[in-house]
Amino acid sequence: MLRSTPWSPRFTAFSQRLANASTCFGLGLLLISAVPSFASKDTVPDWVRAAASQPSGSYPPSTNAVVLLDDTHLTVNPDGTAVEHGRRVIKILRPAGREQGIVQVWFDKDTKILALHVWSIGPDGHEYAVKDNEIVEVGADGDGGILYADERAKMANPPGRDPGGIVAYEYEQRAPYYQHEANFFFQDGTPRLKQSFTIDLPPNYSYVSTWAHHEPVKAIDLEHQHYRWDFDQTPAVDLEHVPMAPDMAALSGRLTVHYGPAGDPTMGTWQGVGELYDKLAHDRMAATPDIAAKAAELTAGKTDFYDKTEAIAEFVQKQIRYFVIEKGIGGLQPHPAADIFHNRYGDCKDKSTLLSAMLSTVGIHSAIVLVDSERGFVDPNAPSMMGNHAIAAVRIPDGYESPRLRSVVKTKEGHRYLIVDPTWDKTAFGQIEHNLQGGYAVLVEGKESEIVEIPVLAPDLNTIRRSAELELEADGSLKGNIVEKRFGDVSEYRRSLYTHSDMKEQTAFLNRVLSRDLTSFAATDVKVENIAAFNKDLTTSYLLSVNDYARSMGALLMVRPRVLGSEEIQTDRKLRLVPFDLEQTMQEKDDYSIKLPEGYALDEIPDPVKLDLGFASYESSTKLEGNSLHYTRTFTVREVSLPANRSSDLQRLADTIAADEQNRAVLKKK
Amino acid sequence: MKNVSRIAKLYALTMPLLAASVYGQKWTTPTPEELSMTSIPEVPGAAAVYLNKEQATDDGLHKYDFYVRLKVLNEKGLDYANVELPFVGGMGGYNIDAVAGRTVHPDGSIVEFKDKPYEKLVVKSAGFQYKAKVFTLPAVTVGSIIEYRYILRMDDNYFMSPDWNIQSELYTRKAHYMWRPTNALLQNEDGSQSSQSVAWTPILPAGDKIVEKPLYTSATTSSNAPNKQLDLDVHDVPPIPKEEFMPPIGSISYRVLFYYTDVKSAKEFWAQEGKRWSKARDKFVGPNNGVKQFVAGAVSPTDTQDQKARKLYAAVEQMENTEFTRERSTREDKAGGLKQISNTDDILARKRGNGDQLAELFVAMCRAAGLKAYVMGVADRSERIFVPEYLSLRQIDDYIAIVNIDGKEVFFDPGQRFCEPEHLAWKHTLIGGLRQIDGGTTIVGTPSTPYKDEHIDRTAMLTLDEHGLATGTATLAYTGDAALRWRQEGLKGDDTSLNEDLKANLEHMLPGGMEVRVTSVDHLAEFDKPLAIHYEVKGPIGSSTGKRLLVTANLFETNEKPKFPEPKREVAVDMRYPSITSDAVRIKYPEGLVVESAPPDSKISYPNSAAFNTSSKTAPGSITLYRNFINGRTLYLEKDYADLRGFYGKVETKDQETLVLTRAVPGTTPAAPTAEAPTASAPVATTTKPSGN
Repeated sequence: MLRSTPWSPRFTAFSQRLANASTCFGLGLLLISAVPSFASKDTVPDWVRAAASQPSGSYPPSTNAVVLLDDTHLTVNPDGTAVEHGRRVIKILRPAGREQGIVQVWFDKDTKILALHVWSIGPDGHEYAVKDNEIVEVGADGDGGILYADERAKMANPPGRDPGGIVAYEYEQRAPYYQHEANFFFQDGTPRLKQSFTIDLPPNYSYVSTWAHHEPVKAIDLEHQHYRWDFDQTPAVDLEHVPMAPDMAALSGRLTVHYGPAGDPTMGTWQGVGELYDKLAHDRMAATPDIAAKAAELTAGKTDFYDKTEAIAEFVQKQIRYFVIEKGIGGLQPHPAADIFHNRYGDCKDKSTLLSAMLSTVGIHSAIVLVDSERGFVDPNAPSMMGNHAIAAVRIPDGYESPRLRSVVKTKEGHRYLIVDPTWDKTAFGQIEHNLQGGYAVLVEGKESEIVEIPVLAPDLNTIRRSAELELEADGSLKGNIVEKRFGDVSEYRRSLYTHSDMKEQTAFLNRVLSRDLTSFAATDVKVENIAAFNKDLTTSYLLSVNDYARSMGALLMVRPRVLGSEEIQTDRKLRLVPFDLEQTMQEKDDYSIKLPEGYALDEIPDPVKLDLGFASYESSTKLEGNSLHYTRTFTVREVSLPANRSSDLQRLADTIAADEQNRAVLKKK
Repeated sequence: MKNVSRIAKLYALTMPLLAASVYGQKWTTPTPEELSMTSIPEVPGAAAVYLNKEQATDDGLHKYDFYVRLKVLNEKGLDYANVELPFVGGMGGYNIDAVAGRTVHPDGSIVEFKDKPYEKLVVKSAGFQYKAKVFTLPAVTVGSIIEYRYILRMDDNYFMSPDWNIQSELYTRKAHYMWRPTNALLQNEDGSQSSQSVAWTPILPAGDKIVEKPLYTSATTSSNAPNKQLDLDVHDVPPIPKEEFMPPIGSISYRVLFYYTDVKSAKEFWAQEGKRWSKARDKFVGPNNGVKQFVAGAVSPTDTQDQKARKLYAAVEQMENTEFTRERSTREDKAGGLKQISNTDDILARKRGNGDQLAELFVAMCRAAGLKAYVMGVADRSERIFVPEYLSLRQIDDYIAIVNIDGKEVFFDPGQRFCEPEHLAWKHTLIGGLRQIDGGTTIVGTPSTPYKDEHIDRTAMLTLDEHGLATGTATLAYTGDAALRWRQEGLKGDDTSLNEDLKANLEHMLPGGMEVRVTSVDHLAEFDKPLAIHYEVKGPIGSSTGKRLLVTANLFETNEKPKFPEPKREVAVDMRYPSITSDAVRIKYPEGLVVESAPPDSKISYPNSAAFNTSSKTAPGSITLYRNFINGRTLYLEKDYADLRGFYGKVETKDQETLVLTRAVPGTTPAAPTAEAPTASAPVATTTKPSGN
């Protein structure tokens, strides 16, 4: 779809970023001479024809469409308000590109659309101008826990949206009054031929440009405070059918232009970004007597920093329902802590705000941290307020040490902070969810605001431990007890399952998991412990019986020593151009003992496997101990991402695991 | 088919009477048992339970009163505290009003809902606004009882008969429904007259029934005031079952559907509505001059009836089916010199149409060729079950065609592009619908497809090296619905996207790590021939143990998971359509390896329903493994589940067997393979064999 990005970053967690289009900066009425005027509504304007008539270039057959033109022009008024004018022309190349010909321009109460015109040229050359009454308005779809948002879009479905067809639109839209940066997304999954971003500044204003995932491009000085950046033939970031790919937004080029009265040394710095957000959020953290009373109740009898913080953080994590209500600036600014506490609900920035308010009443300082749920989206070299999630950083008292402090960052000033996400409802206190690990975040601490890197946690903080004592019968059936312990993010889904699903769904899930490795089986006497105790192992135990586990082939009985746990790594053996997203650090250990049936002797046993590639390691062994086969394996992932040039290593790891998981021991009738 | 609006709205010819609501504002005092409840025995682990639900419709006041009282039992249940109530604005629409609510905590403390609901835009276009009132109950925790009520108000002079959707995703302890239908003479929005009568279709738990009682009105009340009341009390209603391979039972969950109607019986309704429907179809079908002229040139007078039907079907199938591309707007048609669509001549002129229009065009062509041909409107079995007692044409999703060929009625599915002639897409089989007959309409069911018409043939020719790495070719050939699925997939995209999907399809079947490349696709658009996809494959298909090479015997089933892992079943199993799958995999192995053990031949049957066999054939340096699987039935009832699961369990176990190759010791005689040659008594009519060496 052709869509413009909402003006503001929205720190609501889970909300969708509309990353495949540029932001919608417009044109101020004070600079008429620089303003391209709208074309007549009933004919396709010349600029559309000009864009459509240029050679569109050649692209891989998987290219759905090409953006022929993307001109964005922001005019900043002397009072700091701004208007954006934009023009887009897209050519549809494949049937799947029809969707990209649907026009969407997003707005809310602070980013009103002042004008929108849509045109198209069918593959047969017919020209169309979409009438105003053919443009519909749609509200945000409510996904991701949004109860109410005033964000909506004007949408048009232009005629002629077929391969070979052209769709164009032109719009004018107010920029949000509270934001002084413009973000131009000049790269995404669609190749782009010609693009430009222009800014017109009032006298005494200056700007700073920053570049995410791209080398800086020099601005063309058009004189009299007008500046333009041109982009020609920007290639697509093609992630279709690329396994383990980072998010598109983590790879795509993005220009941020910060603007404001000249002379502000923090403009375009992380400090500046943090200070701006601080102005929005600081007063919202004010605690009320009710809040203080609750914090006192939760921490009663506790003297240790960790214990007090944990009690309050778990209250916010578990007792404050997550959902989103936002209007205009509400996408950025939290609700007052008092309201959040009274209603017992809020979004991510609300939860972080309430956490800070509560902690402040027991003498613990904390701050909001702005992040993005997609690792890599926040580029440390490109200060910007763009992001979609807010968490908290709790200042660790000087000299305080504890092994329970895991996700810790240290600032330039030497202060240590424990990173806490009160929104992620199944993450143990002291840890941070894996998708944020290794990413960057803005610590909002007034003048001490800075960019920090969220630490990558050790593999032994995210673990699966399976063990089993099993007995094999001569008819191939297998029976015994299984115990599976999970800690960290790898326990998150199951903890949710056991708190969000009924017994039937829970049983179906276990059966589905077991059916990855077994055909005819039954799991009975299932017990689950520590579902809500996130800092303890989630322990699942059950009695497993499997028919025909070992396959009788003449005098032979083939037994797979690895009973459970498939760790398939999706690779495609193609030339790799983008890094691998390994998702999370983790460690998986399996320990299975299979007592062999009477009358059979071990004829062959799989060779041991040992592979250490630095970013990950894998080892397994199968031994005959007495009359039992004993299989052990350890699979460790130590990094969250891997450069593209390590593709062959990852393939080697995948092949090693796949082969080991299929290995059989051969028993022979005595 | 989208010509029937979801909500029937009618308006009165006279002003309605205003009367007092029977449903006053009140909350329910929770019992100690409700306050302390943490789960319900009927649904262990349930997210929440409806303690009470009420829906009362008073036509005299043009309003619906709703009341919900729900206990939150786990974290998932918290979601029920967020409420979204859609409504349609504008003339003839309705609004949500008088929202009130409260949260009762397990200790009995109460938090009132004091906010106003937010009004959220869903979609707005010229003359139409679809919105929703959204709100959340305050301070809800696990264990809370949430209560809320609201009123749905219609505009004056408008009426909407209620639907009582009794079964939901949650268990319901108690529910009460009430309707006081108007006594006014009503008129449909299209101007056609309806009636002062009401009718309903009940799908209710055994023993539950609607109670009808008269309402006594005073002399001062209007003659149009409701004069009767319908009540229904239900209790302990289980949630709608949710299982894999379910028939579309969502459309027949417990419910009561009401209508304002004059008719006295379903038979009368379908006769009356069918007549109107059939007349509209005939008006569109024609045939008119354009179609007649086309048919005159397309068929020969000497053609048999079957030849004529097939030629005309092929002609329609060549046209663009806009359900796979894009419907053109009136402006685009006008730009192309095309007038508005009013009959099948207009579809023919465009050489494109939606599925229904193409089905009607085919009927028109057949009629022009002198064949007896009829339109039938069917439900889509992937979505719903056709219920004749439900008096609504809304059940009809698609049109198919019935042609009398040499005295025999044959079903065609021209609206499904690339569907084979004389074949229905599975979603149009074994489903009810309304068909034209000479002089009227009738309700009938569509036939099933014989399993022999639904064939999947999978073959592979592989050469194995001593490490278990295989290289070779594979072919997947489809007829029937499997072919239709891939052909239509191709219509949605292009060759590039289709090849990517076809590649992924085989990759998902084969052992992990195998490289797959599509080399060619045969008969993609020739829907009367089998669709064949040819591949090159390369990768490991076995594991080495030192002395032996263990090879997955059934290559195409390597990654199949148990179909029915659950030991119990609540509802019938819908397999969509019967089918036969035949596999043949030839593996050439290198010198120095011999077959130590091959999977023994086997036969597994599920009498009158399904059959399975495997066999193998050895030759010097190679072994060929055969597998045939027939599913001869579409529907298996709950009582059949244990047998069905047992049959699949045996098949799946057999599919995981291993071919054992041993490294021969020089100078020794290798052990004789245990496999026998394939028997002639295989329980299937056809067995695929690889060609070539």
